[in-house]
Amino acid sequence: MNRRDMLKHMVAVAAMSTASALFPGIVFPNSQFENFISEESLTWKKSPCRFCGTGCGLLIGLSKGRAVAVKGDPASPVNRGLCCVKGYHSVMALYAKDRLTKPLIRKNGQLVETTMQEALDLVAQKMKETIDKNGKDSVAIYGSGQWAVPDGYVASKFMKGGIGSNNLECNARLCMASAVTGFMTTFGVDEPMGCYEDIDHADVYIMWGNNMAEMHPVLFSRMLDNQMRRGAKIIDFATRTTRTSMASDKSILFKPQTDLAVANAIAYELIRNGWLNESFIKRHTTFKKGKTNIGYGLEDKFAFTDEPKEASFEEYKKFLEDYKPEIVEKVSGVPAKDIRFLAALYGDPNKKVTSFWCMGMNQHTRGTWIQNLVYNIHLLTGKISTPGNSPFSLTGQPSACGTAREVGCFTHRLPHGEVTSEHDRQHAADIWKIPVEKIPAKPTYHTVEMFRALDRGEIRFMWIQVTNPMVTMPKLKRYRDATKKEDRFIVVSDVYPTPTTDIADVILPSAMWIEREGMFGNSERRTQHFEQMVDPPGECISDAWAMIEVARRLGYKDLFPWDKSNHVQEIWKEYSLFHQGLDHQMATYEALKSNPGVMWPCPDGKETKWRFHSKYDPAAKGGSWDFYGKPNGKAWIWIRPYEPAAEIPDDEYPFWLNTGRVLEHWHSGSMTRRIPVLHQAVPESYAEINPDDAKELGVRHGDKIRLTSRRGTIIIKASINERGVPPQGMVFVPFFDESLLINELTLDAFCPISRQPDYKKCAIKVEKA
Amino acid sequence: MNLKNILARENRVIFISICVVLMASMIIVIGQSIVQSERQAITTPMSAASLPLLPEESGVFRLADQALFYLESAKEQGTRTLSIYYQRRAFNGAPPVIPHEVADEASFGGNTCLQCHENGGFVPKFNTYAPLTPHPELLSCRQCHVPIHTQNLFKPTTWRTVAPPTINRSAMAGSPPQIPHGLQMRENCLACHGGPGSVKEIRTPHPDRTNCRQCHGMAESNEVWVRPLVSENK
Amino acid sequence: MPVKSYLAYPADGKRDELTRSLQKLPGCEIIPSENTDVIVLITDTPDAEAEKSLEEQLQSMESIKFLTLVSGYEEDPMPG
Repeated sequence: MNRRDMLKHMVAVAAMSTASALFPGIVFPNSQFENFISEESLTWKKSPCRFCGTGCGLLIGLSKGRAVAVKGDPASPVNRGLCCVKGYHSVMALYAKDRLTKPLIRKNGQLVETTMQEALDLVAQKMKETIDKNGKDSVAIYGSGQWAVPDGYVASKFMKGGIGSNNLECNARLCMASAVTGFMTTFGVDEPMGCYEDIDHADVYIMWGNNMAEMHPVLFSRMLDNQMRRGAKIIDFATRTTRTSMASDKSILFKPQTDLAVANAIAYELIRNGWLNESFIKRHTTFKKGKTNIGYGLEDKFAFTDEPKEASFEEYKKFLEDYKPEIVEKVSGVPAKDIRFLAALYGDPNKKVTSFWCMGMNQHTRGTWIQNLVYNIHLLTGKISTPGNSPFSLTGQPSACGTAREVGCFTHRLPHGEVTSEHDRQHAADIWKIPVEKIPAKPTYHTVEMFRALDRGEIRFMWIQVTNPMVTMPKLKRYRDATKKEDRFIVVSDVYPTPTTDIADVILPSAMWIEREGMFGNSERRTQHFEQMVDPPGECISDAWAMIEVARRLGYKDLFPWDKSNHVQEIWKEYSLFHQGLDHQMATYEALKSNPGVMWPCPDGKETKWRFHSKYDPAAKGGSWDFYGKPNGKAWIWIRPYEPAAEIPDDEYPFWLNTGRVLEHWHSGSMTRRIPVLHQAVPESYAEINPDDAKELGVRHGDKIRLTSRRGTIIIKASINERGVPPQGMVFVPFFDESLLINELTLDAFCPISRQPDYKKCAIKVEKA
Repeated sequence: MNLKNILARENRVIFISICVVLMASMIIVIGQSIVQSERQAITTPMSAASLPLLPEESGVFRLADQALFYLESAKEQGTRTLSIYYQRRAFNGAPPVIPHEVADEASFGGNTCLQCHENGGFVPKFNTYAPLTPHPELLSCRQCHVPIHTQNLFKPTTWRTVAPPTINRSAMAGSPPQIPHGLQMRENCLACHGGPGSVKEIRTPHPDRTNCRQCHGMAESNEVWVRPLVSENK
Repeated sequence: MPVKSYLAYPADGKRDELTRSLQKLPGCEIIPSENTDVIVLITDTPDAEAEKSLEEQLQSMESIKFLTLVSGYEEDPMPG
């Protein structure tokens, strides 16, 4: 060390000791790093990623009680060691400075700190008062597909087995309700038959309105790998040009909502060319038709029940006469030769085809129908339930399948089956050791209707957990105003301040993800366990435990007898009783702890990769396919027509508005925007607009434009020829930005069967601002 | 009509029918071979199990053919320093951010990023040598690497991570230093320790010796081995 | 040839920005604290004039909330 270095060292030491006096406990890096040999010397623990429904396996590096690094888990069959930028930086979401760490209660309009005990007392007291005054259906819990399994299970048992109300919904209604009703109407049981391994077997991937390069990037990379190494083909079938289009072998654009017509046209071509798997159709399918002109749910108390009727192949064939490619070309803008091209891919007996979709088909006023129609194509060709042949519905949330769907956190559901079934109610009552009369047989409100009921005053108390409806509800203003009405009491459990905590009367700080123990279930029926790795900050507790505390205060101690130290294990044991049997057996708690996820059904510890085929699925009988969710083991091929969208561009509002996500941000951005890298990459939302439209409006990239619908207006920067390019007459806006709330403009029209709103289609006008 | 004509006509008929038979058989033979070849094309895709699962060994010797060039160009100094290297990462091992404008938001690796970052070289626009990716087989670069459009934060953070490893980590003076990081997606040593685009402080003086792990072992643990007691051994 | 040390405190959310800009300045070395936003800054300048201009640059930085001098040495150039 020379003299100058010596001097520097001395002044540095002086500064550090001064700092220590000013800031007790301050730590400076030790220049010797004696204890730190390598990143391999950190403690690494496995967890599913906190973000999307892919369910990547992460290894989280821990040091001195903090999460300090992430790498992909090479042992996980989901991602095989690769993550996306959100996953790699996911643990940073734990550490933003404005983390909610203390319960807050609104007093005279101001939020003031209180203790957890007092806050829980108040929540219980308000809940009780509201029930006493307005009945048990005046209180509601609104949860999330980001709930870990124990959270959802406690919510269901509390509401349906304790209070005796079906007022339980979750944001998965906005995300994959149409996927569920699609599965139920065609197959009779929920969730995909295939798994991610289909990607390694398929010859062709057809993406139905699905920008997987950004939304499921890890799975997309797996497809790219197969494209590069063995020539698998990626076909993009979408309403706008995206990164997925750029990497695909062929990109086909269709006009919004006309996927219904194109799917029928593909079926028409399959039949016309004799590209059918006739023995499969004869043995494993039956034809059905339902109601038509089914509406859009725009009015309060909208009710709809479909009535399936028998149909025949001849009837189906005749129905498809209206969907000749040349006719559909006029509606959809898809050239007849491209429709034939798609049909030829599905129809080629030597090609294994996997279809992928997510929000494009789910957030659709005919969401259930379009799922039925894509299943039709796979059923007509028999390309289903075998490696590489898979109609694959992806999910957007980490436990949309595991919690929302499997635990059944919806008004009409129970952890197994539906409240309308006496058998299912009895089953639940037996496990919960309550009289069966306790569980009401009639569903109450689905999500949109639940917020409408809050507006009308039928619901007076709502407990919102792990979700941000004041960013994500369509036609936002009506539902935000509803929460602010006199005599409405809103409790919000979350980890950061959001527009939803802004309207809360009580805020409960939640322990998130690896600050507590839990399980997530991903798109391929894989349940993944994560242990508590770090302590939650301040007074944060898990949502499951917060609900248990409140339930006990309301007198439901017997329903929740568990000890805090082992309640997750106990809950898993009890919950598994609902899914006994070959068709849904869950993994044991021990198996979950030691594996990078286990796919159900897994009777005798053996997981099932493909359901409904006796070669892979022990629940399937006979020598081949067995769609055991339906009577006679036959899947339903549905006659479903094309019907237009709820609101179509006209002279006054000439543009389609399409909304969605970007790779860097997840949902309403309350976590990803607090991760420095992700915010710095995409600091604000923007409106993608077609270059020709921009020219006509005199708008250049980065200029401000005003978007207006019949419901609201925002001013936002135009994005031209950047990441995505919509066709002429369409604008695309990501919804992550709480200061640019695009849902002020969207419409609360929904699929009458699934009750899932359509965030992809409404009419707006565009002006230079 | 004489006999000759009749014969000629018969000949013609025979000739035509032979042609028809030949054509038909040709169609059958060619058709079958087409079907056969299609079937073969379909039935021989690489099986799922043979796809690499990001192994720690697959790319070890990639770039070995560049080794002599790296040795010669060792005098050329890239400008990248270790401090810049760590600034671009949220933690040691995190995917680095993109410190420059990107040409095309919608593009994929092969068209843009990999043009510079697969094989490297001097980039006049940035007046420096392009760093190499250790995993050019992954094409969706923007899945993990994002450009930075603002230096500000949405909210301040208390994030902190462990310090990066020190350099010159030899057990004895002159002995080969250990590898202080995991090899997942980073098994190709030369990508980061070889050419002029690599980081100055950690550039190897001998890029021509391409079997790196012959001498450089992994630092998997900071513990020393102690022989277990006999009772524990049972 | 002055050597000085300071404690620097960044404006809210600008810790990384401050770290980066300080690292870019010639003659500056930093030791950021691991668990607070405080950054120890050590400056090493060839003469009083350079020292003054560096000080001015530091004062004008928007990412600094406050900056306080802790200690310093004024070293005479060695004869010869």
